[in-house]
Amino acid sequence: MKNPFERFKDYQPKRRDIPLDRIIESKDKVMEEIIAGYEKVVEEEVKSLIWVVERNRLAEAYSRAEAVIADMDYGVEDIEEFCYELDSNEKLPYLITGPSGIYISALCNYAKENEITLNLSELQRRLHLIGYRLPAGKKLIVDGSIGNFAGARLEGGELIIKGSVGDWAGSGMRKGKITIEKYAGYHTAEWMMSGEIRVDGRIRSMGKMINGRIYEMGKPIHPLYNNSSSLDSHRL
Amino acid sequence: MNSEAMDSLSILIDKIWPKIKKKHLFPQIPAPMVMESEEAVAIEMKGKQIMVNPWICEKLGQVMPKEDVVESLLDHGTSHYTYCPWDFNTHIALYSEVKKVIKDPEMVKCATGYFMDIVANTYCIKEKETKIPELYKYLDNWDSTIGSRKLDMAIFSLYQKIWGIDLNISGYDDIANRLSRIPYLDKTRWKKSIKSFSRTILCLLEVEKQEKESGNNQQNIMGEHGLSNYSGEEIEAGLRDFAGRTSSIEEFKEIISDFEDELKDLGVGNTSGMGRGKGEPIDADMLFYMKLAENYSIPIKMVPMEKNGFLHPYSHSPWEVGKPFEDIDIWTSFGKIIPGITQIWNKREGEVFGEIEGTPDCVIVIDSSGSMVNPTVNLSYAVLGAGCASDAYLRSESKVAVYNFSDANAGGKELLDFTTNRKDIYRTICRYFGGGTNLRLKDLESLRTKSKTDIFIITDMQISNLKKVIDYLSDIDNRITTVYIGNDNRFIKRFKGAVKEMQNISVYSVNKKEDIPKIVLGKIKDYFNVNPV
Repeated sequence: MKNPFERFKDYQPKRRDIPLDRIIESKDKVMEEIIAGYEKVVEEEVKSLIWVVERNRLAEAYSRAEAVIADMDYGVEDIEEFCYELDSNEKLPYLITGPSGIYISALCNYAKENEITLNLSELQRRLHLIGYRLPAGKKLIVDGSIGNFAGARLEGGELIIKGSVGDWAGSGMRKGKITIEKYAGYHTAEWMMSGEIRVDGRIRSMGKMINGRIYEMGKPIHPLYNNSSSLDSHRL
Repeated sequence: MNSEAMDSLSILIDKIWPKIKKKHLFPQIPAPMVMESEEAVAIEMKGKQIMVNPWICEKLGQVMPKEDVVESLLDHGTSHYTYCPWDFNTHIALYSEVKKVIKDPEMVKCATGYFMDIVANTYCIKEKETKIPELYKYLDNWDSTIGSRKLDMAIFSLYQKIWGIDLNISGYDDIANRLSRIPYLDKTRWKKSIKSFSRTILCLLEVEKQEKESGNNQQNIMGEHGLSNYSGEEIEAGLRDFAGRTSSIEEFKEIISDFEDELKDLGVGNTSGMGRGKGEPIDADMLFYMKLAENYSIPIKMVPMEKNGFLHPYSHSPWEVGKPFEDIDIWTSFGKIIPGITQIWNKREGEVFGEIEGTPDCVIVIDSSGSMVNPTVNLSYAVLGAGCASDAYLRSESKVAVYNFSDANAGGKELLDFTTNRKDIYRTICRYFGGGTNLRLKDLESLRTKSKTDIFIITDMQISNLKKVIDYLSDIDNRITTVYIGNDNRFIKRFKGAVKEMQNISVYSVNKKEDIPKIVLGKIKDYFNVNPV
């Protein structure tokens, strides 16, 4: 019987190796490492059903994240892609927004680049704790809105959010600058020690800050009002 | 462009086409043609036919062999057919993903087009012997404005990076780095990839849009990716799949509105009249339900129709004088009319029915009161269910009448007489009144008495005159299929309790799309001796 595919015998597709193959392979490998690191960080946290933001807890989660990413070689694009992986929840078994934010912040703080731009405008969920402990010399620009505790315990870096933030933005901030191009939620600058927060839109309410400068819609509102409780009553 | 040059290009295409076909494993597309219009694009596809621009081939032929120009353009065009987008369904799926990132329809079309071009080109380079990289090397020689177009430059820079060729582009490293991380050749990740692609090029698309607004209107040289690439049937099937895939009527409406002109040109949504062609504006709500309903098939139990008294030849007997000539069987009578020899057929009344089983016409009664979902805002199972039911009757060549009611006594109603016009039926079903719920039995009776019809009622049962409706239904012997939307409430319990013993009424519940195929229209309990609910 004649082979009906005889004509194609000498016609084998000639697959060519192109740089794209190597780029994708290496990117996928880095993403796997980042995801594995994330799983290590959250495997302790997932044991408790409710994740409470406490100083010790944050510090522990951050230390774990630092240890995990110490040997990783990644770039800004990897961080952004990881944020979307978290959002899509396809590869990751669980998403706890608190530790996720700590982990992303650690990735940003230890990234090779000093200026990091993350386009998070298409995320379905809002990530919390972005910009946590951002060190001096680092600039993190977030395109889109983020959740609570943005720039918490900022350590001298510059955080720019091209969108709105949730509650407790800049809480416990040591120094540095936060710019929020839209709105800020409740308890903004709670326990803020130093630095500057500029909100181009409205601030829902101020927290009890220790020191620092706050601007709302271009106007200074602190240290204009030194008594934070009077500021709160003014706002509410 | 003179006709001589066009003829020579045509000859060249005829020479190269068999090689391209073999290379791409003999795709079922017609031989390419020479484009007659002076478009600023090198190639375009219309109804699966590749059209090559002779003017651009001529220009590019000055810097590289003309055979290579034609071969690379045909490789590109054929890859669109064989790999990306492959079909209208994939095209619309990619487009809808971009739509989640970018709102402006022109920008969405542009992003989708560029993504498909990158995939098609990269596929060719990876899998086939092609001259596409050479073509891109010389494209800027052809078009001096490319250098000023940031999006094209970024894409060229990407090509440099992912194909490993030098196109002499610099200054777009950041964007090219981001774009190069996208797995263009992994079909399973295309939806995610195109979103990431769109996010990355969004700023460049905005710049391009501003330039277009200021009069600098440049087209993608590799052609725009409109719907004219696809056949009408393919578009109909693609819209059906898309309506099934997305449960968001808003998303469907947005996409239909983006392609409205092209769809109108292709005659999509026109179900009446002869042939396809531009007609009335497309009603996206109606089209959504029409396409979605095509994904479901509801069976109809057929019923025996009337005897027609037809006599059929049964046996022979000798003909005698006085017996009718027309019953003579000439074949057994040897052509002679002689008593005793001539045979005559004895006829008997048929014991079969005129039509053994048939499907009666149906009155669709749909509740569009305020307690029902507004079909233009959210997916309405009532409209979808009514649409599926009407389709089932239309498929059986029966007619359908519609009674859409809300507060019927206050004028909140619409009646459509028996028809086979699917568009009119859907238009009536999709209408939403949003008021109180009162079914005017006189209206229903006026439709019911026209023939022995089935009745299909879809409601949440929160009808103010439910008692009268139950009494009415219990007095008639039509087959009645009642579908209620939502969970059991006291009205539904009351209705189910009242019709429990009635053999001609079947009751079904629909809470999700998947419940619709479980409905059996006109099912009479004693057919199966079970209660459906």
